[in-house]
Amino acid sequence: MNTTPDVLVIGGGMAGIVAGTIAAENGLEALVMRTGQSATAYSSGAIDIIGYPPEGLALKEYFPEIELPFKTPIDGLRAILSLYPFHPYGIIGLKAEDNESIEYVIAHVSESISWLKERLAGSCAALVGDLDRNIFPITALGTTKPTCLLQETMWSDTLNAHPDNVLIFAGFSGHSEFDAQSAMRAYLESQLRTGEFPHKIGHCEVEIAPFGKPYNISSIELARHFDHEGSVDHLTSALKAHVDKLGATHVAVPPVLGIEQASQNQAQIQKELGVEVFELISLPPSVPGFRLQRAMDRVFKKAGGTLLIGHQAKSATIKNDMVESVVAQSPRREVTISPKTIILAPGKFIGGGLEADETGIRETVFNLMPVTSSLYSAEDVRPTNHTNVYSLSPDGHALFAAGLAVDMDFRPIDADGIEHARNLYCAGSILAKYNYSMEKSGLGVALNTGFAAGRNAVKMVREAS
Amino acid sequence: MTEEEAFEFVKHTLKEERITPYRKDEIEIVHSVEDCINCGLCINHCPVVAAIGVDRFTGPRSIAVELSRSPPEFWSTADKVYLCTGCGTCREVCPKNVNIPEVVNLVRARIFKHRPDLVPKGLHVVREIITKYNLAFEPWEDPEEKVESRDVRLERLGIPYIEDIIKTGAEVLFYPGCQAEELAQEVREAAKVVLSYFDVDFTLIDEMSCCGLPSELMGDDETSRKLSALLKGKVEALGIKKVVTTCAGCTSMLSKISQRDNWDIPIYHMVEYLVEEVGLVQISEALGSTSEFSDVTVTVHDPCHLIRHTSRRTMEDAIEILKAINGVKIVISEAEDSCCGGGGLVAYHSKDVANAVVQENLVAINKTGADRILAPCPLCTAQIEANLFRSGSSVEVDDLMVFIAKRLPKK
Repeated sequence: MNTTPDVLVIGGGMAGIVAGTIAAENGLEALVMRTGQSATAYSSGAIDIIGYPPEGLALKEYFPEIELPFKTPIDGLRAILSLYPFHPYGIIGLKAEDNESIEYVIAHVSESISWLKERLAGSCAALVGDLDRNIFPITALGTTKPTCLLQETMWSDTLNAHPDNVLIFAGFSGHSEFDAQSAMRAYLESQLRTGEFPHKIGHCEVEIAPFGKPYNISSIELARHFDHEGSVDHLTSALKAHVDKLGATHVAVPPVLGIEQASQNQAQIQKELGVEVFELISLPPSVPGFRLQRAMDRVFKKAGGTLLIGHQAKSATIKNDMVESVVAQSPRREVTISPKTIILAPGKFIGGGLEADETGIRETVFNLMPVTSSLYSAEDVRPTNHTNVYSLSPDGHALFAAGLAVDMDFRPIDADGIEHARNLYCAGSILAKYNYSMEKSGLGVALNTGFAAGRNAVKMVREAS
Repeated sequence: MTEEEAFEFVKHTLKEERITPYRKDEIEIVHSVEDCINCGLCINHCPVVAAIGVDRFTGPRSIAVELSRSPPEFWSTADKVYLCTGCGTCREVCPKNVNIPEVVNLVRARIFKHRPDLVPKGLHVVREIITKYNLAFEPWEDPEEKVESRDVRLERLGIPYIEDIIKTGAEVLFYPGCQAEELAQEVREAAKVVLSYFDVDFTLIDEMSCCGLPSELMGDDETSRKLSALLKGKVEALGIKKVVTTCAGCTSMLSKISQRDNWDIPIYHMVEYLVEEVGLVQISEALGSTSEFSDVTVTVHDPCHLIRHTSRRTMEDAIEILKAINGVKIVISEAEDSCCGGGGLVAYHSKDVANAVVQENLVAINKTGADRILAPCPLCTAQIEANLFRSGSSVEVDDLMVFIAKRLPKK
């Protein structure tokens, strides 16, 4: 069975769905193909633009005056564009005149953020935040991290504002994914160190039993449970006792307030208890990631796109500098797709866009040449030579900055700097020269490169017809 | 000790140690578990976990990682592994493509072989029927009653009866599957009507025998392979070029065994055959102008064995066919691709679990406001119909093929 869409997107995470939606909104026939879920579904759901440079805090040695993490994404973008021209954000700026590239990129990021916020408004992953500041939400471990956009159920703007604020970390009995007491301790420690409010922090545990037993409970079960009408009432009354006892003004819960109903549940608890309630950021795979993927899929379908799940791109034919067709495999069938343009956004090692073993790093569909963080060919590189001895090293792992090198249109290029095919673009974490886990820039780069690659593909289809 | 004696000795030891070596075609499945990164995404998406919670069904990951223990004590999973409906959601969402549904079959096969006492009793009943009749359901005692039941169904639905054709050298073998052969006879008859209408040169099978999926699902690997060999012999004797079936489970199982056992014959679900081989133009001509039916709003259910074990494209085909029918409005249910709970033989021993899984579908179906729900699978149809009826819903249920046959102009 064959199909001939205008745009084929391989991969359906943030980058792929954004690129596909741009194509569909421009009236093109867009097909997004992915195996199952994406690394976006797997993520914390926070959309980071830029929190740190690729080297992390090490940059301070050379630029002691630099403030890290970046106070605002705009500061971060300025630093990245000045110091790392081949960063994906830098590639976006190649389209502008030399002295205008920074403003061009900031405008691009700003536009993509507005676009995304508008699309997700009213959805189960509606966003707050903007480019003017990095916000520092609390994680389930009691630490904080810089991010730009966050689901509105996960942020309290007043928490750090007043010295009299009292915060309670509330956990659930038998829910092994979150321990309120240790989160409280870690957060309190950092608050005392930095001197920031609040200083009065407590913890409590409430009993919610989605299946009648208050043990062995997972986040997803709690989230589904709270989606049922009326089930949040019990949580509200259980929290009330603790809120009254400590005189709490804020309550932090793990991100389980619902899949579809989180926002309504948050509003209901806040109204009844007169406190602010927000969800923490949790480890993957998290409920907010689940919500984000769900909401993004709906955005794409609403724009008229076709989502084909359960298919993995296996091989492709390139003729006369153009990708002619892509062969994809489902469990028991094969399909040949002959699109006008292709956007490759399959993710990196989790998504399956890159594969690495002791013989080297490979791109899995087109056999393109991946490069290391220093832009050398990574085809024969031993991945372990690009990792640190410590898994949680403050310097990160250079391996995560390996990927595809691209031209100014986001088309992957070969060793001579020539694009592999004129109609092949790429976006998202398969790109080289950025280290999302160090930088806190993952979904931001995915959003912006998906946005840019999608527009380039639209332009190409229009010019060809 | 000669080499042969040594081999026999080792084989005996294996049995004593309750070890069944992996077969060649199982090795790849076992290796896929090595890629598991323990993320737990499968648990978040598992419909059985969603329905009954991780405390009762620990989820796909816990079953898959059992293989990484050495030696694996499969029997310790016995209170969980039979609750898997085999929907394949875990494999689809897995970032590492771990083949968990096949791991479940593999674990069940070891339990069946070495600890049959741990296999739920309901499955032993099915096993007895299969070994006795080569069918997943007990055949009718009185053949006349079977004919009567068929005729009553056809009359109620307004579908004409076409004599069975059994011949060698036909283009297509229509394989109805056990459910349509014994219970949902209207599906078998509907498919015959559709194939005849489009002048397909087809034959039925002389003596219907099971594809082996139910045996595989209960862990009776031996019977499963025996049945697939039996079927291969029949298919070869008929000299047909393609196999078409109306059952989702048969589609995925036949696709699997035809590849595994080198049949060299393509397998189609009827919706695939209609779109790919008959063509939408012909279908539109036949169904695009029928005006004797009032307009109807339908929603569809995607059978797991089609979308997650074969290809999601199959349901795109189904939708294309429905779009070609005059007066049909399609509304998509939020849970269209969520397991109905009817799979994995779960209903044979834990009906409460199967019926808990389908609740999500029922809520979503009722929410669509559709008059009728269609599924290209007699098993899903039966499971959804029974539960909709019990819940007092007014939504009617049809197998997709029956719906199409009803609307074909009479020739």
